[in-house]
Amino acid sequence: MSDVTAPVGADRDFARIAAQVEPIARTIMAQYPNGNVRSALIPVLHEFQNVEGWVSPEAMALTAEWIGEPLSVVESTASFYTLFHRRPIGRYMLQPCRNLSCLINGAGDVMRHFRDRLGIGHLQTTEDGLFSYEEAECLAACDRAPCMQVNLQFVYDLTKEKVDEMLAAMRAGTYDVPPLPQSVKPGRDWSVASATDKKSPGAQGVSHPNDPGGLGDASGVRMIERLTKTPYPVEVRPTKERLVADGAARLAAPPSSQSEH
Amino acid sequence: MPVVKVLTEGIGEFDLRDIAVYRERGGYVQWKRALTEMQPADIADITMRSGLRGRGGAGFPTGRKWSFLPNNGRPRYMVCNCDEAEPGTFKDHMLLEETPHQVLEGILLGTYAIGSHHAFIYIRGEFERGYRTFVAAVDAARAAGFVGEKLLGTDYSVEVTVQRGAGAYICGEETALINSIEGRRGEPRLKPPFPAVKGLYGEPTVVNNVETLATLPHLLERGAEWFASVGPERSPGYKIVSVSGHVRTPGNYEVPLGTPLRELLAIAGGPRDGRTIVAVQPGGGSSACLFEEHLDLGYDFDTMAANGTMLGSGAVVFFDDSTNFVEAALALVRFYAHESCGQCTPCREGGHWLEVTLERILNGGGLDSDIDMLVAVSHQMTGLNLCPLGDSIEPFLASVVKRFEAQFRSYVRSPQREAITA
Repeated sequence: MSDVTAPVGADRDFARIAAQVEPIARTIMAQYPNGNVRSALIPVLHEFQNVEGWVSPEAMALTAEWIGEPLSVVESTASFYTLFHRRPIGRYMLQPCRNLSCLINGAGDVMRHFRDRLGIGHLQTTEDGLFSYEEAECLAACDRAPCMQVNLQFVYDLTKEKVDEMLAAMRAGTYDVPPLPQSVKPGRDWSVASATDKKSPGAQGVSHPNDPGGLGDASGVRMIERLTKTPYPVEVRPTKERLVADGAARLAAPPSSQSEH
Repeated sequence: MPVVKVLTEGIGEFDLRDIAVYRERGGYVQWKRALTEMQPADIADITMRSGLRGRGGAGFPTGRKWSFLPNNGRPRYMVCNCDEAEPGTFKDHMLLEETPHQVLEGILLGTYAIGSHHAFIYIRGEFERGYRTFVAAVDAARAAGFVGEKLLGTDYSVEVTVQRGAGAYICGEETALINSIEGRRGEPRLKPPFPAVKGLYGEPTVVNNVETLATLPHLLERGAEWFASVGPERSPGYKIVSVSGHVRTPGNYEVPLGTPLRELLAIAGGPRDGRTIVAVQPGGGSSACLFEEHLDLGYDFDTMAANGTMLGSGAVVFFDDSTNFVEAALALVRFYAHESCGQCTPCREGGHWLEVTLERILNGGGLDSDIDMLVAVSHQMTGLNLCPLGDSIEPFLASVVKRFEAQFRSYVRSPQREAITA
């Protein structure tokens, strides 16, 4: 059993990681017909994540170089897929299913128990860097609900007792699913949106959709109330004439007021 | 009990992952026969005559799908869709992990039938074990001479590429899947052109579900008439049904299409002690609920469609009288909000706001008008998107709001309720 509590990050050597991944990446790139090497993008990122535990900026840059695409293409694609972690995560990725068949068979209790025991919420990592937690969508194992994945390996028929045993075994380093590699110590949030706080104005103050109450929610409430409670104020609806007049006025206005838009 | 063993034959009894075991039980016999005795057109003809309809969700006739490929001399691709993620469905997961060679034989037959020389299988990223299992199966088949150059002394060569996804439900949509194989974001494309004309790498492409392709060896072995004679005329054959929810023994059960829902319930062990079934979602997360008065309906494509729902991927979820349908609705709405690729505004915004509204109802802050709005917004989202994901919220949400309106109303602040408590 590997030591799951050893410090990480100090001896990360990306050149060594790259050397380890490159031969596999070359084999993958060769399997697509007519030189369509861009198809290797997702498989190569998987390989980097297998070695490092996450998809680092260096890994994305090198992948871009290998497949001959700009870095923006690789980042854009990587950001689309939930299995790619663009921030370091814990040694054990715990993903209980929150979808229908699991939910009506007690997944709610299991998820609450995980949150209690770990002291973290959805898309967070524990202080010691051991556990990351994400409530996942349907994992296609509804016959053994509630189910979950630990580092992408299935665990079925979850109960609170089973959760306690699992966490204890992971802390002791005796759990039968091997821990993930971890080249850098993770922070508390590994979802990039929450880590960088890049949110649209409507979402400001909303820490998470599960926790409404910020500006975004309030504006939504106001919008809904207006739609459902009051008849639409017809006189302020922009008419074709008004649009034409507005456009003409804007063109006639001095440049300084235009730049406000 | 009409449980049959066709695709599920041997699962749980034999280690069908081992190519030797699979061959002992008749595996790859049809692939050899196809290569040495049959023309591609023969296989396409059998498939057309069998009336086989796609098992992935849309139920489109497989033979007709193949017939749309243009004869333009361009390379063609066969893509097997194993991105199973429809809530409640777990049949492809089982086929992939338990009987990978049957899936591979089906892929090879389909690839040969459409005149292609390169097949892809796109496996959902979460099926890490299934991916390893299938890669091993392809390697074993290659070593046995069933995949590769100039097979069995013929001029036919075929390559199989195993591609693993990375966590996106939308990649089950065929054009999103093609984009994902090409290394792009899994965003559905505008159609037409359909993949049959312009698909993977811009070439003619067929995308078929795992279960659809795994049926092909059996069609060749037993003939189109055998398959066509089972079940309703326009919806023939056997289907693996994933039964889950409030039943005693959930699982995958293979039955003739047309089997009554009540019988499916009995096969899955019936309801739990002291409970009665009040609703059933017959075709995955995207289908409308049916209720106890519908339990005698036959489970097939056309009967489900005639009753305002669909057979979809064959995921049947039963709900008993303990179900909180507000929570159930939230689980599915949150799923579609989470899985929206974000290209089309109605789907991206509608799903998010429905999720937030349902959260608010459950937290006790909802308004009476919210409940009408749930139905109105989900309806407003339909028919306006590039793919069917945005249309997938309305069926379940509208059907349970209509049927279990009292449950939804019990959460919200209504003037009447406030008058009573005052």
